[in-house]
Amino acid sequence: MRSGNWRTSVSVGVLILIVGGLTLGPALMLLVGSFSQGLGAVGAFTLDKYARVYGDPRLTQVLSNTAIFALGSAILATGLALTLAYLNFRTDIPFRSILHMLPIVSMMIPHLAFAASWALLLNPNNGMLNLLLRQLGLGSINVYSLPGMVFIEGLLDLPVAYLVIVAAMASFDVSLEEASWVSGRSRSATWWRIVLPMLRPAILAAITLVMIRSLSAFAVPSVLGLPGRVEVLTTFIYRLISVGFVPDYGRAAAVGISVLGVAIVLVYLYRYLTARSEQFVTISGKGYRPTVTSLGRWRWPLGFVVLLLGIVLIALPVLVLAYTSFIPYIMVPGAEAFRQLTLRHWEHVLSDPLSLRALRNSVLLALGGATAGIVLSTFASYVIVRVRTRGSAVLETLTFLSYSFPGLIIGVGFMWLFARTDLYGTLWSLLIGYVATYLPYAIRPLTSTFIQLSKDLEDASAVSGASWLRTFRRVVLPLTLPGILSGWTLMVVMFVRELDVSTVLARPGTEVLSVQVFRAVSDALWGRVAALGIIMIAISTTLVLLGNLVAARFNRLGPARR
Amino acid sequence: MLRRLLAVGVLVALLAAAPVWAQSSEGLVSRAQAEGQVEFYANITAIEPILEAFKAKYGVDALYTRMSTTNFAPTVLTEHQTGRVRGSVLQGPVPLLKILKDAGVLEPYRSPAAAAYPEWSQDPDGYIQVFGIEYVAIIYNKNLVAPEDVPTSHMDLTDPKWRGRIVMPDPSGHATTVQWLVGLKEHNVFGSEEAWWSFVRGLAANQPIFVASFGPTPGPIASGEALIGISMPKYIVTLAPAPLDWARVKEPMFGTTRGIAIAAGAPHPHAAALFVDYWLSREAQEILASEVGEYVLHEGVYPPIDGIDQAQVLPLRDMTDEELEYWAQELGRIFR
Repeated sequence: MRSGNWRTSVSVGVLILIVGGLTLGPALMLLVGSFSQGLGAVGAFTLDKYARVYGDPRLTQVLSNTAIFALGSAILATGLALTLAYLNFRTDIPFRSILHMLPIVSMMIPHLAFAASWALLLNPNNGMLNLLLRQLGLGSINVYSLPGMVFIEGLLDLPVAYLVIVAAMASFDVSLEEASWVSGRSRSATWWRIVLPMLRPAILAAITLVMIRSLSAFAVPSVLGLPGRVEVLTTFIYRLISVGFVPDYGRAAAVGISVLGVAIVLVYLYRYLTARSEQFVTISGKGYRPTVTSLGRWRWPLGFVVLLLGIVLIALPVLVLAYTSFIPYIMVPGAEAFRQLTLRHWEHVLSDPLSLRALRNSVLLALGGATAGIVLSTFASYVIVRVRTRGSAVLETLTFLSYSFPGLIIGVGFMWLFARTDLYGTLWSLLIGYVATYLPYAIRPLTSTFIQLSKDLEDASAVSGASWLRTFRRVVLPLTLPGILSGWTLMVVMFVRELDVSTVLARPGTEVLSVQVFRAVSDALWGRVAALGIIMIAISTTLVLLGNLVAARFNRLGPARR
Repeated sequence: MLRRLLAVGVLVALLAAAPVWAQSSEGLVSRAQAEGQVEFYANITAIEPILEAFKAKYGVDALYTRMSTTNFAPTVLTEHQTGRVRGSVLQGPVPLLKILKDAGVLEPYRSPAAAAYPEWSQDPDGYIQVFGIEYVAIIYNKNLVAPEDVPTSHMDLTDPKWRGRIVMPDPSGHATTVQWLVGLKEHNVFGSEEAWWSFVRGLAANQPIFVASFGPTPGPIASGEALIGISMPKYIVTLAPAPLDWARVKEPMFGTTRGIAIAAGAPHPHAAALFVDYWLSREAQEILASEVGEYVLHEGVYPPIDGIDQAQVLPLRDMTDEELEYWAQELGRIFR
């Protein structure tokens, strides 16, 4: 027993060292910068930066907007994700393969392009959907508003919530629902009393992730918030660093520290709310059967409604993107647009050696980064769930450190760090930056899957003489495959379009697609942005399908799940 | 004999130790070719044709890293502090380059090509060469704005007919827009400070559509979401055939200055000097004007925009970060 404790402490310690090594550096550089005089990372101690940003009279309004924006988008994304995941995984709804891919698509598009597409559709002056609504006498919708921002951010963060919830939903035993029906409970009572409480870890994980993500989101606040005069924390930070020629990242970091504080509180709240993990166990030695519920006569109508919603919310902006890639400049669709259709954006992107190199680097980083990230996350999540000590709480907090800083400044934190090492200017620096920043994308779905896994299975394996590693490989891994696949998918898709870290660390030779997109955005070349965006969607889709294939193969080779 | 040998020795030593700018152009080319490449950190965009032409002419690779203004100084200063200088040639807004010069991260270099530029564009200390003006103008959609409605003065932007149809960068967060607005006051464009204030208040009352920088301004004008905007004429060239044109107002056009310099401790100093020479040459500036639509200061070179060669384009004064912050807050109060 004692040797077991010792081994546990060592493994927690080693993981704290690895994860801390990845995430503490940039966070510490930013923390030091926020207390340092001058503009670099290190200087004489001062509290002036905090006094100046927190004394700003606009901050109250900014914080209130930010709270509505982050909470609203987290609730919307999680609610949509929960509904879609339930319909796709637990019912016999038609078009399931399309409905499973749709919620992930919005994550594959550069967020600036997604937000700009919605501005084209719903701007108050000549938004394409608004023109249609007006013709139908239905008024118009102003996307340049706080509700508009919540709506679009919710859609953008839907994949994160969806993949976290899907991981739990796929490992959810339907016999619990059946037991509830047999006991005379209605479907809705079963949903509220059985399904939702059992999914609490995943729902909370999704809300936590989306809230932190939207707290540091910049694309939607910049494209939709600026025209609507709605300022949130990230646009407030952007103003701090963009108005002068030598931006004071220390001051920006002083604001970012609040987001970090909120994130740490959320992580602890999550641990507290899921502390009695045994109550969420649905995969035990008693047989595990995730079967589907029949929707009866609602099957087809519901299928069409969800498909239509999916097409309007997700596919329409992608269509706008595709359309933009074939027109010389942004114009409302019509005869003139048709007359001017062109392939020049595609020709440029596909013949530009820089874009092709960026494409190769992006694929390499996505595959390598997501795979390295998922290996580390699997071990870290296992320890976070199984070892409920202060050490594992520290480990969990560490995984969130880089992720919690607003994207606008975390890249500079990494640059301040890497410029002191030989990694500066290499692909490795990008890979480390990616994994360190987006660890929660793999940790969250994995922890909520591990919580569902009964410890009895591992104990049984151990009693039968299997080593810990063998138990982990033969019992734990196959049963947590949905979580692993979700985490890998989230990371791979994120890394294909990652901008925050890349824009600061990419150098000649280490260009990535998102930086090419950003350059095209800076030059107002939206046709090129759109073509690159479509390429990103294609790459992400291919990689996600590849991941699913590998997982299916692994699943067949592993022990029987059912 | 001994004296002659000594003299030759001293000469060789002097030549070897001579700064880059003191070397002959043939020597510079061969040394640059030996270095093989030059790393170019730049704020200016869409310049690939110049890099390709440089490579074709000299066989030296020009590797471009686009630096946004927000990342520029932190990156260059950190590289310098940590001794890992990667950028050999630095191009950016002149106030930014001056800050870098004061921080000791620039190397003096007087390019022979600078002779074709006005005297005011040359840094007295030889660190920075100004080569262009990031010119700002009123840009409009020529399909949607009738000729009689096109502004003839900046003050026309305060006409209520433009309410909700003007696009411009957020004046509380975009340095060049702050400089431009304050520049209109300092150049007394409206005849008095009160008139300038009424211009600013009138523009704010028209509820412009704010965007983060100039990059997103032409899109809404081209698509018709906005009819008019405070933007840059270069988009008329880069986004052709978009229906964009510039308003020939009676006042001069203003813009912030763009400069180029060499980094102290540049990894490829000779290739850097050769690149700066080429950048400032008529050949490169013609590419910059014709393909990127930039307003350059090389004598007799203009972007292919109707009437620009007749326009008066004036450089705005460099503002300190403190001044920019002060005015950004003032303007922010009016525009919100």
